[in-house]
Amino acid sequence: MRESPEIAAEFSFKKEKAIAKSFSQRFQWEMILIGLGQAVIWLSLWPLVLNGIIDLWVGFLIASLCACFAYLPSHEAQHGNYSRGNLKRRWLDGFVGHITLITLMYPYHLLRVTHMKHHAYTNDPEKDPDYLNAHTSSVLKVIKNVLDGSTVDFEKYLEVFSADKAFVNSFEKAIPMALLYRFILLVLVIIFPLETLLLWWLPAKIGTVYTTVFFSYFPHLGTSTGRYQNTRFWTHWMPRYLNHSMQLHFIHHLHPSIGHYDEPKAIEALKPFLVARQVPGADQIPDRVTHNPLIRT
Amino acid sequence: MLIKKFFDHISNWKMAWFGLIFLGSIINAVLQKSSLVGDSPYVSVFAFGAGALIGLVAKIRGAWL
Repeated sequence: MRESPEIAAEFSFKKEKAIAKSFSQRFQWEMILIGLGQAVIWLSLWPLVLNGIIDLWVGFLIASLCACFAYLPSHEAQHGNYSRGNLKRRWLDGFVGHITLITLMYPYHLLRVTHMKHHAYTNDPEKDPDYLNAHTSSVLKVIKNVLDGSTVDFEKYLEVFSADKAFVNSFEKAIPMALLYRFILLVLVIIFPLETLLLWWLPAKIGTVYTTVFFSYFPHLGTSTGRYQNTRFWTHWMPRYLNHSMQLHFIHHLHPSIGHYDEPKAIEALKPFLVARQVPGADQIPDRVTHNPLIRT
Repeated sequence: MLIKKFFDHISNWKMAWFGLIFLGSIINAVLQKSSLVGDSPYVSVFAFGAGALIGLVAKIRGAWL
């Protein structure tokens, strides 16, 4: 990365990267627990509801909660944050990535390649697969688009990146999984109509709306292109562990290898670098980011 | 060739099929539970017909909402 002459040597990109790397080492056990845990809970809802052990409405509420927790563990897998470059652990990325997305009914390979393009071309109207989510007039419009399916026009990006072999290969690998999800859904709905609606389809929609609003819309709302401009710090009334700390999504775009639960500490350490680069809102970052019980202070 | 034709058909008519099978099944299950129309012999015809119609309208419009 070419360094701006206005940036003091003590805030160089090299030093920023070194600090970020120190937060990119830890094994992300919390995410694995959340990802596999929610999938197991969600799966167990089926026999529990079908055998009348728990009420369908209770199952619906639990399934919706599971769906809201389903994306982030896969997101860490998409960045290879479980294997951390260790080829022997690479299976863990795929394993967690696939399993956790069952609740949301999305193929892992599809979300992985489109997410990589989102990072590479954030806020590019032609190449960013998340562009429509972040550049919409209101939250209601985002919700409508998600429910409609119009924000996930993945086929468009198959055309845009048709020259990228790795993208096309991953996309093609995802098609059988997408069809399998649809097939299972349609078989299940014939046998267990209301259970399929309330344990899978509706919770998956709720989880996708939640994920899109908090992961795509708010963090990129009103931002432009460029490493230090394509994501923003923002505030929300919700305690940040309820919305997966997406107010801190900026740091993820800067250094995707930082583990999710290490981001608050990384932000504290990198704050002077962000202020030096005049990142909007960086000067308002507290010296100590609170409300995260998983970080040892 | 046959597989390609099948996938093309799915791709073009997915909304109509989804309406017929998914929405039809849901509407049917809800109506079956209703004390007003649950006993009617035509409830399934109406339910799956309504599902198919919603799917067809979505296909023509190109969007569900």
